[in-house]
Formats: sequence, C-alpha cells, structure tokens
Amino acid sequence: MALASKQSQVIKKSFSWGYAVTWLLLAILIIITILPFWIALKTALSTPSSLFVNPGSLLPTDATLFNFRRALGLISLEESVAAGGSGQSINFLLFLRTTLIFTALIVIAQTFFSAMAAYAFARMKFVGRELIFFFYLSALMIPNIVLFIPNFILIKNLGWLNTMQGMVAPFFLMTPFAVFFLRQFFLGIPKSLEEAAKLDGASPFGTFWRIVLPISRTPLITLAILTSINAWNEFFWPFLVGKDEEVRVLTVALQIFRTQTPQGAPDWTGLMAATFLAIIPIFILMVVLGRQVINSLQFSGMK
Amino acid sequence: MGVKSYTRPKLEQSAWRRNLKLVFNQESLTAWLFILPSLIGFVIFFAVPAVRAFMISFTEWNLLRAPKNVGLDNYRELMTDPQFWNALKVTGLYVIYNIPLQTVIGLFMAVVMDRVTKSILVRGLLVLPYLISNVVVALIFLWMLDPLLGYVNAFLGLFGIDRQPFFGSVSQALPTIAGVNIWRHMGFTALLFYAGLQSIPKSLYEAATIDGANEWRMFRHITLPLLRPVTVFVLVTSIIGSFQIFDTVAVTTQGGPVNATRVIVWYIYENAFLFFKMGYATAMSVVLFLILIVVTLLQMRILRADSSDLE
Amino acid sequence: MKKLLALAAALLFSAGLAQVKLDYWLWDANQQPAYEQCAAVFSEQNPNIKINITQQGWGDYWTGITTGFVSGTAPDVFTNHLAKYPEFAANGQLVDIQPLIERDGVATDIYIGELATLWTRDNARYGLPKDWDTIAIFYNKEMLDTAGVSVEELNNLTWNPQDGGTFEEVVAKLTLDANGNNGLSPDFDKDNVVQFGYLTVDGADAYGQTQWSHFAVSNGWQFNDGLYAEEYYYDDPKFVETIDWYAGLIDKGYTPKFSDVNGLGDNSLFAAGQGALTTDGSWMIGWYLDNSPFEVGFARLAAGPEGRKSMFNGLADSIWVGSKNQEEAWEWVKFLASAECQNIVGSYGVVFPAIQSGVDAALAAYAERGADVSAFTEQALEPGGTFLFPIADFASEVSDIMTSAMESILLRESDTAETLAKANEEVNALFR
Repeated sequence: MALASKQSQVIKKSFSWGYAVTWLLLAILIIITILPFWIALKTALSTPSSLFVNPGSLLPTDATLFNFRRALGLISLEESVAAGGSGQSINFLLFLRTTLIFTALIVIAQTFFSAMAAYAFARMKFVGRELIFFFYLSALMIPNIVLFIPNFILIKNLGWLNTMQGMVAPFFLMTPFAVFFLRQFFLGIPKSLEEAAKLDGASPFGTFWRIVLPISRTPLITLAILTSINAWNEFFWPFLVGKDEEVRVLTVALQIFRTQTPQGAPDWTGLMAATFLAIIPIFILMVVLGRQVINSLQFSGMK
Repeated sequence: MGVKSYTRPKLEQSAWRRNLKLVFNQESLTAWLFILPSLIGFVIFFAVPAVRAFMISFTEWNLLRAPKNVGLDNYRELMTDPQFWNALKVTGLYVIYNIPLQTVIGLFMAVVMDRVTKSILVRGLLVLPYLISNVVVALIFLWMLDPLLGYVNAFLGLFGIDRQPFFGSVSQALPTIAGVNIWRHMGFTALLFYAGLQSIPKSLYEAATIDGANEWRMFRHITLPLLRPVTVFVLVTSIIGSFQIFDTVAVTTQGGPVNATRVIVWYIYENAFLFFKMGYATAMSVVLFLILIVVTLLQMRILRADSSDLE
Repeated sequence: MKKLLALAAALLFSAGLAQVKLDYWLWDANQQPAYEQCAAVFSEQNPNIKINITQQGWGDYWTGITTGFVSGTAPDVFTNHLAKYPEFAANGQLVDIQPLIERDGVATDIYIGELATLWTRDNARYGLPKDWDTIAIFYNKEMLDTAGVSVEELNNLTWNPQDGGTFEEVVAKLTLDANGNNGLSPDFDKDNVVQFGYLTVDGADAYGQTQWSHFAVSNGWQFNDGLYAEEYYYDDPKFVETIDWYAGLIDKGYTPKFSDVNGLGDNSLFAAGQGALTTDGSWMIGWYLDNSPFEVGFARLAAGPEGRKSMFNGLADSIWVGSKNQEEAWEWVKFLASAECQNIVGSYGVVFPAIQSGVDAALAAYAERGADVSAFTEQALEPGGTFLFPIADFASEVSDIMTSAMESILLRESDTAETLAKANEEVNALFR
C-alpha cells in the first residue's frame, strides 16, 4: 500500500509534463485513425446523388441505410441498378459463413504448425537448422506475383479448384511470417521452465504443448489476430481459386463495388457500406481475442 | 578442403560420424518432426514455384506460348533499362519514407498501451485501420486527399494553407503513399511490439521505479534492450514488406505521375501481366530477392537477431 | 423397329447427358442484369446449355483471363476489348469464328458502322460486336442557364487549335472566379477559380479517348497508319498544336490543374458542381444521371477544322480456344450478337447495343429516365463522324510510354513538341 502511494507520487512529480505530451500525441493519433472511418461511414450513408453535395461536410446529406441493404443483397437487381448501384445480387450470409470457415481453418492450422516449427528453430539443435530457417525467411522476399501462377496450376492439377482445400492450401501449413514471429518470442522464454519439465520426464511434445504454448498465449493470440485479419482480407487467391458461389468469400463477392470500367468510377456508396459490413465480424473477433490477451496478462501478472 | 581430407582422413571420418550422430540423435529427429508439416507447406508452395520462377527468368515467355531459352538476356536487358533503375530508386526512397516513422509510431503506441492506458477502447481504435484491406484503404484516401473535393484540403484551407495535390504531383505522390501505409500499419506494428512488451517481466519496472528511475530511463534501459528480438522481427518483416509495396500504387497512382511512384513490384506486375514479359518480370523478381537477402542479412548481423538479453 | 430403337436410345442418351455449363465473363456489373436476362432466354431455347456469368472489376478481370489462359481455366466466352484482343489473337488464344460464320450463314452487316471490321485480322475474325460507344459533351444545365448559354448554342460550337473557336469562348464564359468574374472578363483571377468551364485533364494516356482525341482528330490528325498499325504519329504538328492548346486551358484557368484532378477524376468534380462542361463516353451516361444532384444534359462535340469526330469503340464476345464446348460457346456468342439479345440489353438502358433495333430500345430506356442521349447516336451515325480506337500490337507498352509523356506535359513540366517527339520515337521503336 505504502509502495503504491509512493509510486504514484513519483509519477506525479516528475512525469506530469511527459504524460501531458503523451496524451496529446495519443489524441492526435486517435483522431488521425478515426477520421477516415468517419468519412467512409458518411459515404456509406449517402445516396449516390447526394454524395458530391457538400463534399467537405462531415455529416451525410439525406442519410440512408439503402447501401447497407444493397450490400446485404436485400434489394432486387432492378431496384439497385435504378438507384445507381451495380447489378449483382449478394448472398451475404452464405459468403459470410464461407469466409468464417476459410479464416478459421487457416488461423488454427497455420498458427499450430508454425508454432511447432518455430519452437524447433528456437530451442532444438539439429543439423541444417540455420539454413532451413534462412530458407523460410527468404520465402518472405519472393514477390507473390511470381508464385501465384505455379501455385494456381498446382491446385488446378490437384482438381481442387472451387474447393475449400484449394483455397486454404497455400496458407494452411505455414507462412514464413508466422514461423519467424513465434521463433522470436520462443527465444525469449526462460529455459528453466522447459528444463524442469524435462527433468519431470515430459516428452518434447508434452513440454511444447503443456509448457511452451500456455506461457506464449500473448504472442499466439496476437499472431492469431493478425492471421485472421489477413485471411479475412485475402482477395486475389480466393478470387482465382474460389469463383463458385458455394466457396466464394466476402472479399470476392464485394469487389463488384469496385471499378467496373477502365475509366469508370467505383460505386463509392456501395463499396463503403460493404467495407463496413465486412469488417464488423472481424472486429468482433478481434475484441474477443483481445480480451483473451488481457486475461492472459492477468494470469501471468499473478505469478 | 580436398587436400585436407586426404591428409587427415581419420579426423574427417570422426567428424562425419559426429555429424551422423547429430542428424540421427533423438533431439534432431524430434526437431525434424516438429518442422515437418511446415516444411511440406514451404516446399510445395514456396520453394518449388520459386525455383521454377528462377528458371523462367532465363527464358522469354509471354505466358501464352511455350517459353524460349534466352540465357542471360533478361538480366542484360535489366542492366540497361532506365525504368528498372528508376523503380529501384523509387522503391528505396519509399522504404525510407515508410519504415522509420511507422516503426517509431508503432513503438510509441505499444508503450502507451502497455504503460499509460489500459483502455481496450483505445487499443481497439488504434488497430482498426489494419482491419480494412489495402485496396479499400487506398480508395478511402483517394477520397480524403482529393485536391478539390477532399476533406484534408478543405481542412488545410481553414488555416490558409494552399491546396496540396498529394497523389497528383511528382514530389508528393510517393510520400503520400508512404503516409497511407503508415496509417494502415502503425496499429499492426504496435500490436507486434505490444506482444513483445508483455514478455518483459513487470518486476523489472517495479524495481526500477523503487530505485527512482523515470519513465524515459526505464524505456531506454529495460524496454528497448529486452524488446530486441521483437524489434528485429518488426524491422525485418516490415522492411521486406515495404520493398514489395504494390496495392496502394495500383489503386491510386499506377506508377505516375511521370514515373514518380513506379515501384519495383508494380513494374514487375506491368511486365508480367500487361506487357506479357514473364521472363523479364521474373528476372527482376530474382534481383529484388537478392537485394532483400542482402538487406536482411545485414540487419540480422547488425541487430544480433538470434540472442535475447533476457537470461 | 431398329430405327425406333436408335431414336429411343438417342433420346435416352441426350436426356441422360449432363447439361453443358458455359462460363461467361464480363467486367461491368451494371450490365450483368441485362446479360442474366439474355442467358435466361437463351437457356429456354437451348435447355441443354446453362450459362454461368461471372463479373470481375476491370483490373482483376484481365489478370484472371490471362491466368486462365495459362492454367487452362479461362471462361468459354468472355467480353473482349480492342486494346487486348490483338495480343490474345496473335498468341492463338481466341477461336477464329470466320469459318463458323460462313458455315452458319451469319450476317455480319447488321452492325452499326465498321464495328464488325474491328474484330477481324488477316481474314480471321475474333468476335461479334455487342455494343459501341461515342463521346459527347456533358453539361450542367443550371450553370448553362446562369451564364445565359443556350443548349442550341452548345450544340453548334466550333473549335480550332489556334484560339479554340467558339468552344473556348463558351468555356471561358462558363468559368467563374471567386469574385464572380467570368473567364472573358479582364478582371478574371485565374488563380482563384470556383467554377471551371471545362473539366477534362485527367487524359494522360495514349488515346485521350474522352479528353483530347476528338479535338486532335477533328484537326486532321490520325493516331497511326490504320488497323494493325506499325507506326504512330504522336509527333505530328497537328497533334502537337492540339495538345498545346489543350494543356493551355490549364494555364488560362479554364480547367483545373492536372495535379488537382488526378484523384477522383473529372466526373466526380462534375457531379460535385465544380464545372459546367466535360466530355465523356456514352458508357458513363448512367453514372452522371445517378450521381449528379442537378440536371445533366448531353450535347454534340465541337466541330473542328475537319468537322465533328468522336472515337468509336466497341466490345465483342470472344471464344477461348481452350473451351471444351466450342459448339455451344458459338451458339451463345451467336445469341449475344443477335437482335434478340441486344434488344434485351438495350432495354436496360446501360449501353448502346451494336444493332440498330437495340439502340432504339436503349434510346427509349434513356428517354424514360428523362435523358435525351441523341448526341451520342447522331455522332455514331453521321458519315465520317467517327474514327476507330487505334488497334495495334504493344498496346500496353504504348500506353505506358504515352502516359508518362502526357503527364509531364499536363503538369506543365516539359515542352510539348519535344516530349511528344521523344515519346513517339520510343513508341515506334517497339515495332522495329
């Protein structure tokens, strides 16, 4: 108790200016972060014909939920086209489900397999460790453009076009990013814990499963968050591999709001409404996982 | 090497046996089992296509007909292609605009999340930009930064600041694109740093506080050194990513105005899918790959990536 | 008896046969409902064929097509563009439909103007026309009224590269500075314009389709030496003087700076009420009507020294050589190119079909929305009123070179004649 009050005194005395500046910077960052979202939301709530009225105003003229209904596929084609929208129906719930499955498969498998590899790279001694790790790392440096055609042909030859396994295959077993990320964290875990487990007769996998993974909750959940965001936003691969409606993900379905002609303008209002609808689920996921991070902190703070 | 092995066959043999032991001892086998799934993914979806691409770089291939072997022609052409050198220059410049600011802001945000406010709301807000895809982010900024219709210029106008062209001028286009990507990635970077900060034992800060250290000193002497493995990771991956900037350029400027934003991956894309010069495009990819290898090795060496100060 | 058995077997066989599924791709989402309707009618007539329509935005569309060619997954039939098809045809990716046309006696003279010719090369034919577009002036009626410019006046403008003719006069009259002076007034402040007379200059590319091509060609210039050209004329004095005049509009303050329109484009500025006139293509009519909160009208292009000239561009449907159902694909292409389908497409009022009856349907659909779009159709039907989109190899490379050159001219950073001469040399070097 006495210690706590002393601590707060110290903070008060010597940091008040520092904290003021910090909060000011934080406030600026938050405004910079939010403003574009506000503008996107304003666009989503506008009708096409009111979009360019008072473009400098921060409030929508004639606010309407029409675009959200349009992006959800609740409006007939004709009505949509008549209102200046693009003419394609969207089976939002179906695509949402597909996207959830796509994301979940990738996040779970990739995080797990990458963690296994990362643990081996961080802790085990074996011939070729540095070399293989360097190979993994170098895979980050290959421009995707040269990879996707061979990969696409492979998936086609496997007969996996328009299947879920074809869509998740390249992301399923690893990404160099995930392995590298977790390796760096595993390097920082005190060796004593694992050695204790070893003395107790735990197998390497048992140590990994019962010791290493639990104490690495924060990096694992962080990685899971990042991976799910990336999977959620993945566009070009699912666009190539999963054209059929049964395996279409949201990014592919919602791209109809983007530029349609070489010199045409995007369907701004529809695009922004679609963007908001598409980030709501992933935002919820992030909040839920974010709470996990907090909980894990409390846990580690206790020990 | 060859001579040595003849003069000292005995030692060589024992070394070989030792190696063999290393390969087949239990730890090695376990390690191989641990990396096996990822290795399969790596070989199938990265290594094999990369080797194939490397071979394509020695051919002339327009994607639609069988490739024709041309030896080193593509590489020779690269050397004298002013657009290629320009692309390298523009890309390098972009990395310089992008990385330092993004890293510093990300680190600042992470420390704030860790030491100043625990508010979930603030955290959620700061990471929000990363939730939107590159393409949509670029489109939103095209709106906001439009010289005549955008908010930013309307806002600057309130302070009597002249209209800025942003994407439209040779001098501002590249920094603008860097700014857009800093906006999207600063929360992402912060999240990585934040995860790193959690692995630093809180007791160190408590002890330092009792010793009367101020926040800045603790940052210098506890946070920075112990954060090194994560810092290495952040720098290495974000620099590699930054060298491969593409989406934002494709949406906003398409390399213009007057080549000011013609970054290397955009030029590779143009060659592959607009000019149908896949051989030339892969040759450029190989060069980019080599540049990134060198840059990364240098970073790992300078930052001593493999060790942690926490022991 | 035997005959009957065979017939029964044939019937059984055909009934047991799975439906043929054809993949058809297009990039304009606004046209998809029209083509869904065509596909429904087609499938009614051909119950064994099912059409699966996929739409993808412009950029991804072509990457997807190319990847499809390489991997053997391209669609059976797809909407093709003049800037793309020569390359595909030269690489043997498109079915030459000329023999099929002769076999089935399909008429190719039912299409407007030379649309059908655009898709032929060396006696081969790679597509049947589906639609066309021309350029006209789009105007903001309120601004016209305020300035006292009549629609009739607007429809009869003249232009020349020296002083811009009555076109430039009207543009100047429609330009207003912050003090309310128009561009003709001696007090006009060109650095403080609040309403531009003419919105245009995002035309930094090789074709200037909606921006400068109509001026340059009406000045007696031509892009190149004809279909499948091997030489471009970007250094021609007639072109240079046109571009000099065109870029000069920026210096006079009648049109926004190039760096200012590079973001959202001139159409957005027009819809935001920043300018009175713009030139654009007929495929954008719907966009302007939907997005402008004021009355929009369409007027004829200004007549240059050689008269009124508009670029005439058209799309067609092509069959991919890798299609496993080429006969069915051909049936679908024939239907897409028929009056029956084109009347349906026309009735949606999103594009002008390639057949006159379809155009009439489109005119009726636009009239229903209160828009008189005859400026586009009159231009298309006027003898000598159109010139073709320049079709040649290396379209992407030419575009690349010219984009940089035009950008530096429009940013007013380099000398017009010098830059164009150099760019033209680079362009023509591609063909050597």
